[in-house]
Amino acid sequence: MRKNFQLEREKSSLSSFLITKSLFSQLKGLLLPYTFLAPTLIVVTLFFFIPLVMVFILSFTNLDMTNFGILSWWQPANWSLNNYIKIFTNKFFPKILNNTFIYVSMTLVFFNVGMALVIALITTNINRRIGFAFRLIWLMCRLTPVVVYIIMWKALAGPNPMGVINKHILYPLGISGGGYLLNTYPWLFVILANGFIGASFGMIIFSSAIEAIPKDYMIAAKVDGASTWQTICYVTIPMIKWPLLFVTTYQTLSLFTSFEQIMLLTDGGPRLYQTEVWSLTAYHRALTSYFGNTQWGYGSAWAVILVIIGVIMAIIYLRVFKFSELMQEPKIDQL
Amino acid sequence: MKTSRSLLSIILIVILVMSFTAIALAQDTEVVPIKVRCRAKPPMENWRGLNFIVAEQDLNADLEAMGDPRRVKVEIIQDNLDWGEYVTEFVLGYGAGEAPDIWLTGHEYIGAQSEAGRIIALDELLKEFPIFNLIFDTLWDCTMYKGKIWGVPQDAEARPLYWNKSLLKQIGWSNEEVAALPGKIEKGEFTLYDMLETAKQAVDKGVVKPGNGFWTRPNNGPDFTAFYYAFGGETIDSATGKLVFDKIAGLKYYQFFYDAVQKYGSMGCLGLGWSEAWHPGVSGGNVLFWVGGTWQWAEWAEIYLKDLGGETYAWENFGFGLIPAVEKGGKPNSLTHPLAYLINSQCKHPDLAVALIAKVTNYGPNTRHAIASTHLGILKGQTEYKFYKQSRLLSEALYMLDYTTFLPNNPYWGAYSTVTYEALAAVVSGDFTPEKAMDFVVEGLQRELGDKVIIK
Repeated sequence: MRKNFQLEREKSSLSSFLITKSLFSQLKGLLLPYTFLAPTLIVVTLFFFIPLVMVFILSFTNLDMTNFGILSWWQPANWSLNNYIKIFTNKFFPKILNNTFIYVSMTLVFFNVGMALVIALITTNINRRIGFAFRLIWLMCRLTPVVVYIIMWKALAGPNPMGVINKHILYPLGISGGGYLLNTYPWLFVILANGFIGASFGMIIFSSAIEAIPKDYMIAAKVDGASTWQTICYVTIPMIKWPLLFVTTYQTLSLFTSFEQIMLLTDGGPRLYQTEVWSLTAYHRALTSYFGNTQWGYGSAWAVILVIIGVIMAIIYLRVFKFSELMQEPKIDQL
Repeated sequence: MKTSRSLLSIILIVILVMSFTAIALAQDTEVVPIKVRCRAKPPMENWRGLNFIVAEQDLNADLEAMGDPRRVKVEIIQDNLDWGEYVTEFVLGYGAGEAPDIWLTGHEYIGAQSEAGRIIALDELLKEFPIFNLIFDTLWDCTMYKGKIWGVPQDAEARPLYWNKSLLKQIGWSNEEVAALPGKIEKGEFTLYDMLETAKQAVDKGVVKPGNGFWTRPNNGPDFTAFYYAFGGETIDSATGKLVFDKIAGLKYYQFFYDAVQKYGSMGCLGLGWSEAWHPGVSGGNVLFWVGGTWQWAEWAEIYLKDLGGETYAWENFGFGLIPAVEKGGKPNSLTHPLAYLINSQCKHPDLAVALIAKVTNYGPNTRHAIASTHLGILKGQTEYKFYKQSRLLSEALYMLDYTTFLPNNPYWGAYSTVTYEALAAVVSGDFTPEKAMDFVVEGLQRELGDKVIIK
């Protein structure tokens, strides 16, 4: 009897051990993916979600240089919609919005996607080494520190006799008054300066996508008598449809929030708000002013609207371009 | 053996006594770090900070002589940051407890910083240093806020109307007429619209390009306020201390800049980069009239005209005078924007900070800065000081202080200035008529400042 009881106890102890072990394994299996995700989650929480919540709260306050350290901005009693009303009643609001769409669409169409594709197509259709070298040279814009890069653009656009374009190109041809080209054609320079950097990103993605297309398709197209243009239109482009959509989406959102090149190049000028884009306005309002009247609350409201526009754009792209299909096996491998 | 042991003992005792004495002495002196923050354009304005190095030795000698155990150790941070970033740095530094003890800044920031409690009133501390009595009384007015003194003036300047003598001659002016221009402006015989008319002649005759008849600075700044004052505008209500915008003066002010662009071929300057286009434009003989500062004289001589002969070239080719009156017989003006030393309220030894400021507020150090940077002196009798007298520009521009005006010390001046400047830039670009600019300013000021501004 006693022996049986002992056996029962041992059996029960073993089964509880096994249950605990199994629970532990289950828990481990459940938590392991999150452990791997933890570093990303911590970084994103610390450097995106918490600042976002703070900026969101700040956007309802009138925190500025005069009341910093005095205003209890975290207390709901100090929150109001005044900043948003100020934005939408600002006389320059439509101009800034219009500038933003001009900047994003022109840079995206002509450079970040358009020129990137052209460079990728050319450099993958010529001698491999030369193509690689050309792409490397094109990457110099991205590798150069942005301040140095913009100083170079300013040196190019400078008035005669200092400006390179004026002195060595336009003046000898007799087609310019020798003025400061950044003042005469500010949008052209803003788009060029941003576009040359932006094109390199798409160039790398497209080049690798084109290189990944099996040669059999190209050979088959040539055997069928397709011209180069027809090969590009009917073989290459359909094959890199997904990288094209990814670059378009990523670069749209990136352009919406980028302003550093514009700030250094024209600072939103030369005429009032002539090249001022939304993200630059948020920066100007929140962090700069000649007399130091930086308005952190008001600037935050501009930034919050930008985040909302970005999220809406991202959702539209995800839906319209069916990004879920990107997560599936590459189309090229299914064929 | 015995002798060597005794000798060793004596040496050890001497070392021990010396060590204890050194430790005791070291404990008697306390090193007080004083952080000085200056905004200075190198190399012309370097003396703003460098004067404190000389002052440190001098003050430490004084402290030692009177048996004060404290010794100051000055740390200077000096660069040419933009004003907005410079102020942000101080405010955020204060929040982190790391703001400089002595902060050199524009006097117009006093209102905001004193309201926030970041700086201390200096009335009592200043009484212990009679050297401060040498500073011009008008300059003390700039550092007053709500009846107290919050800063010590560091320098002053005039913001003259400059002209290019050779371009004036090209449109037919004689040498005598050019030489007489400063006097005619001072007497009110040459008005702002006379200046625009002359600018138009230069454009019409092809002497300068359209837009280059008359230039102001390329972005927001104090200079525009002088024009607003010229048209009878006021910025502060003496009874309430609130900001004021005068609609009648404002309309005339915007009409002037509208006319300058639309009728007289001027103001092709807004938005230009300082070093890329503005300075090369005015110093390179491309502009007939322009408004600048006396400190820019040193900048042109040192940087932009160095290869052409520096200051000698400037004297041969440039003239300057007050900003002309609006009407014949009216009073011309100028605007000075004195910088002032403010003391952080977190400073643990404000008496030593003031003592250091007293050391640099003297004929020698102030004149060094004045000559190198072509800023005007701030001390009574400085014009008689041997080295100050040697600067021709400082001597010839000094009379402008009699006509000078100032920016208001008000915490909300920044917002006021942004709105009024945006309207001006829109008028110059042709986006606004003067009337539309007025509507924009009135609506903008009321929206931004509410009852903190009085619209007259």
